[in-house]
Amino acid sequence: MGAFDYRQATDLRDALARHNVRYLFIGKSGAILLGFPDTTQDADLFVDRSPENGRALGDALTEVGFELTAGQRADLEHGKDFVQLKNGPFDVDVIHAPDGIERFADAWQRHVDIEGFPVCHIDDIIASKEAANRVRDREALPRLRAFRDWLQGSKLS
Amino acid sequence: MTVPGDTPAVPDEWRQEFEAAARRPLATRLRYAFIRTYKPVLDDARYRAFSTMADYREWCDRHLPPWLGYGRV
Repeated sequence: MGAFDYRQATDLRDALARHNVRYLFIGKSGAILLGFPDTTQDADLFVDRSPENGRALGDALTEVGFELTAGQRADLEHGKDFVQLKNGPFDVDVIHAPDGIERFADAWQRHVDIEGFPVCHIDDIIASKEAANRVRDREALPRLRAFRDWLQGSKLS
Repeated sequence: MTVPGDTPAVPDEWRQEFEAAARRPLATRLRYAFIRTYKPVLDDARYRAFSTMADYREWCDRHLPPWLGYGRV
């Protein structure tokens, strides 16, 4: 398995759109889509929790090459809080309840579209990392906050 | 004088990196952003699911090497 590349990203985006999956990129992968220069290993998807959306997500992931068992598809339909997938062409974390964000609908209202990729607002990405409060988040936050300041400043110019 | 977009709080080195990244097309940004490195334990299973984030965090605390940085502060 290789790293997530642009073609895979667009294939995933297009498959998710075809199946009308309600989702947002979050975490460092979301920040990277917003322009944050850093590295990461997997794509983090914040997915709206409902049986229909979980079923559509399973269909879309299967379409791009994930090998999901019936039980794993059921986990997506039931909306388990955190699902880690390494059984496809790239790594994906599916998150139904990210720390620091109350409801998907709230994040959706604030989201940003980057070439068709729906991405959480940088404030939500930061809030989620602040709430998770892991060592790796603490390390990433100063630069992410600086990126937010720069992003907001550059929008004014 | 402060020029819009030139936020004084952002360290100069980071600002230059942000500006350089903004000039790259998305395809290029993604090519250099997603990397493949083996993470012990974490990468040793093809699938995991946790009913709650608390379960997931507890699993990380118990099973992952601390140096991976997944433990709570």
